[in-house]
Amino acid sequence: MDLLKEISESLQKGDDAKVGELTQKAIDEGMEPKVILDDGLIAGMNVIGKRFRDHEIFLPHVLLSARAMYAGMDLLRPLFLRDEVPSAGKVVLGTVQGDLHDIGKNLVGIMLKGAGFEIVDLGKDVAPEVFVDTAEKEGASIIGMSTLLTTTAPGMVRVIEIINERGLGDKIKTIVGGAPVSQDMADTIGADAYGYDAANAVETIKEMVGV
Amino acid sequence: MKRIIHFELEEVRAPREAVLDHQGIPEDAEVPHRILALYDDAASQFASLARPRGMIAEISEAEFREVFPGEGNNADDAVVANVFPKADHLALFAATMGGEVSEAIADHFDKNEFALGVMLDAVASMTADRTSEVIADHYHAQLIAEERATPAHHVLGYSPGYCGWHITGQRKLFAYLTPDKIGISLNASCLMNPLKSVSGVLVSGSIDVHVFKAGYSYCPQCRNATCLSRMERLMASERGSA
Ligand code: B12
Ligand code: SF4
Repeated sequence: MDLLKEISESLQKGDDAKVGELTQKAIDEGMEPKVILDDGLIAGMNVIGKRFRDHEIFLPHVLLSARAMYAGMDLLRPLFLRDEVPSAGKVVLGTVQGDLHDIGKNLVGIMLKGAGFEIVDLGKDVAPEVFVDTAEKEGASIIGMSTLLTTTAPGMVRVIEIINERGLGDKIKTIVGGAPVSQDMADTIGADAYGYDAANAVETIKEMVGV
Repeated sequence: MKRIIHFELEEVRAPREAVLDHQGIPEDAEVPHRILALYDDAASQFASLARPRGMIAEISEAEFREVFPGEGNNADDAVVANVFPKADHLALFAATMGGEVSEAIADHFDKNEFALGVMLDAVASMTADRTSEVIADHYHAQLIAEERATPAHHVLGYSPGYCGWHITGQRKLFAYLTPDKIGISLNASCLMNPLKSVSGVLVSGSIDVHVFKAGYSYCPQCRNATCLSRMERLMASERGSA
């Protein structure tokens, strides 16, 4: 079987050891790292993403495949020069100040990476300035904010204010999500977008960056 | 009087179906073997990490009238406002799984063990959730032993952050209950630390005290999937005992 197809299929089975082994084989055979990434790993993750959206597989299955993807990515990363890691776009992600919930945010990050985005994960309890400073420094076009509490929503508002104060509204777009967040709330606080779940976050961010 | 309870794990452990359901796997689904193996792994890790404990403090209706308004952010027609004046007895409660399990979840993510991390998170979340019911049963048993309630009475927990009782209501609740004694603290945005913790008021009374129609102005935003099923269980238990 075609090596890239084998990588994609092992990834879909969540077999991280096999994905690592096959990715190394592809590298040793002199295959372009970008081809291995796009046509092996990301191609496999795209199938998984679609099957998950169509309710054919469950979340733990997606996460086993994501681990397999990372096993391949870890081998490819050193082969790309620092600025050349191919990426669909850069997203700064974090849970807002005062909140320590991060499972939902982590799932969004995993799915975005699976779709080829570069993620700068700031973790939890992130101050508003840190979101914007990091996006500016890293040249990210999207800031994704997560919260599981209504009491931490003002932190999201502050991030949007800072973006506007610094005149960055054209360069940096915001997307918000988390259990108590809704499209209504996103509109009220002036966020550019809202993501219902991790799969929806990927779709929405793809639209925002035009890929 | 304040009472601290150390739960046996078996007593509070959430059923496997609830843990899988939390990850979007319906009860009637055919679950692949390796997902079940992940569950077993997470459940046994949880068993060695969790320190489930809770605290109860009885409160008079007059005192609760002071605690409930919190910082003045409650909805006008909050469910608890309708329920508590009819209650026979009230007690504040808080319970936690302890902090160790959250550290282990973070550690799994650091090591790219996402599926195990999410499974362990689900076991801890669902067990914390179930603890509200178990602590209500403990209070019920206490009231029966003290001949202040009968088995036909119902004790249910109501939590800030639900049903129009604003989440900032936890500040006054914490000031009265002082659950720092079991290691729970509240941060500026009313998040409890450890993460896997719950708080609220236990309401004891006849079934009529608890039955209300969900359909308040704030219900459409509510993501509580168990509200109506809890009500149905209550009605069914009443029918069963009649
Ligand atoms: C499980 C649960 C718990 C568990 C554990 C919580 C945890 N996550 O660790 C327990 C039982 C401990 C708990 C406790 C409490 N909870 Co609770 N809990 C939930 C519940 C049912 C699910 C949360 C969850 O874990 N979901 C799974 C994860 C994977 O989903 P997620 O975080 O939402 O993330 C997904 C999406 O939101 C989205 N997303 C997330 N982030 C981002 C970011 C971006 C940029 C995008 C695009 C998308 C996105 O994608 C993610 C993946 O699909 C929600 C209600 C619900 N159905 O959502 C209430 C909820 C979060 N809890 C709530 C409350 C009030 C509480 C308590 C305060 C109740 C109490 N007084 O005891 C406590 C507080 C605990 C604390 N430490 O302070 C409220 C919060 C409402 C509010 N007013 O702020 C909710 C919303 C329930 C409600 N009333 O509707 N809770
Ligand atoms: S749906 Fe039920 S739990 Fe949710 S706010 Fe309404 S009454 Fe409360």
